[in-house]
Amino acid sequence: METVVRMGEASASGTAGDTLACIGLGSCIGLALVDRGTGVAALAHVMLPDAGQPDPPQPHRFADLAVPALIDLALATGARRTRLEAALVGGAAMFQFGGSGQDIGQRNTTAVARLVEASRIPIRATETGGNKGRTVRVTLGADISITVREAGGREQQLLGGWTGTDAKVVFA
Amino acid sequence: MTAFTDMQLDALRELANIGSGNAGTALSSMLGKSVDISVPTAAALPLAEAVAVAGAPGELRYGVVVPVVGDFEAIVLLLFPEPDARTLCGIYGIEPSTPDGHSMLGEVGNILGTNYINVLSQMVDMVMEPAPPQVVEDMLGSILSSVLLGRGDGIDEALVLDSELIVESEQCSLSFLLLPSHGGIKQLLERLGL
Repeated sequence: METVVRMGEASASGTAGDTLACIGLGSCIGLALVDRGTGVAALAHVMLPDAGQPDPPQPHRFADLAVPALIDLALATGARRTRLEAALVGGAAMFQFGGSGQDIGQRNTTAVARLVEASRIPIRATETGGNKGRTVRVTLGADISITVREAGGREQQLLGGWTGTDAKVVFA
Repeated sequence: MTAFTDMQLDALRELANIGSGNAGTALSSMLGKSVDISVPTAAALPLAEAVAVAGAPGELRYGVVVPVVGDFEAIVLLLFPEPDARTLCGIYGIEPSTPDGHSMLGEVGNILGTNYINVLSQMVDMVMEPAPPQVVEDMLGSILSSVLLGRGDGIDEALVLDSELIVESEQCSLSFLLLPSHGGIKQLLERLGL
């Protein structure tokens, strides 16, 4: 089953064959946390670097709240803290508006990366910056696969060696 | 947590009706073809919903962004499905993905945006001016989320005034979205006494 993680949402799974996806990331960040040992993955669609308030609705919108919340979600789904690895996708600058929204993609990337590193989770792959939108897909299975696709481009492997369906055949 | 009453949304829908009528007339005289306009919608939506009403987030669109500056700050966003952009540019013998194509789509955004906001500006007596258009080819979700977040405005809800313009003889349609900033819309409603 494919779960589409929309802006400000997060989702996790430990079921082989499931897919988690952020479709059409622009300046937002798709943050994936995976435990390749237990086959658990969690994905958040982060919109802004900083909530600026203690308890907002939809905390996954903000990097400062999304990173700890996503770690908790991954652990609650069965991941082990010491085996978590991260991948970051998105953070593009598609427009130049000026004002306080300037470089929002870059600021999102920096904030998420800093918080993930501060949580001692290694970042295994990043596909950030530039001026094109991206879609990230995390496919669960014996080998968790993360792919990224730019608008109008081809699917590229970011983490894991197999595409989802092949992996299951290989390990069947 | 919707910040707008039904009466306010009705008034905004009526403004969108007049604005898009004006924009449609401009497009029609530019192309020399008749242009039909759908009944506009006005809704205050959480950002994820605002993307969903425009279509599937992974669909490719040509997006033309025209920032509106002055007393009333907003963003005009035109969204063309790829075949429709091709049809429209084809009237002038241009490929949409080329620099000329982007320039042509930017000009359409300029003309439609200017005609839409001019009539709004007159009705509510607020200064509104278009800034130069920016044209991208990308996924719908990427375009709309970057526009809504990139202006550094409130992010709980976005007010979306959505009209559909259809060039009848060419089977070509485009979405015209007006995305007012929160400060701008508050002032505009005050001018209308709502």
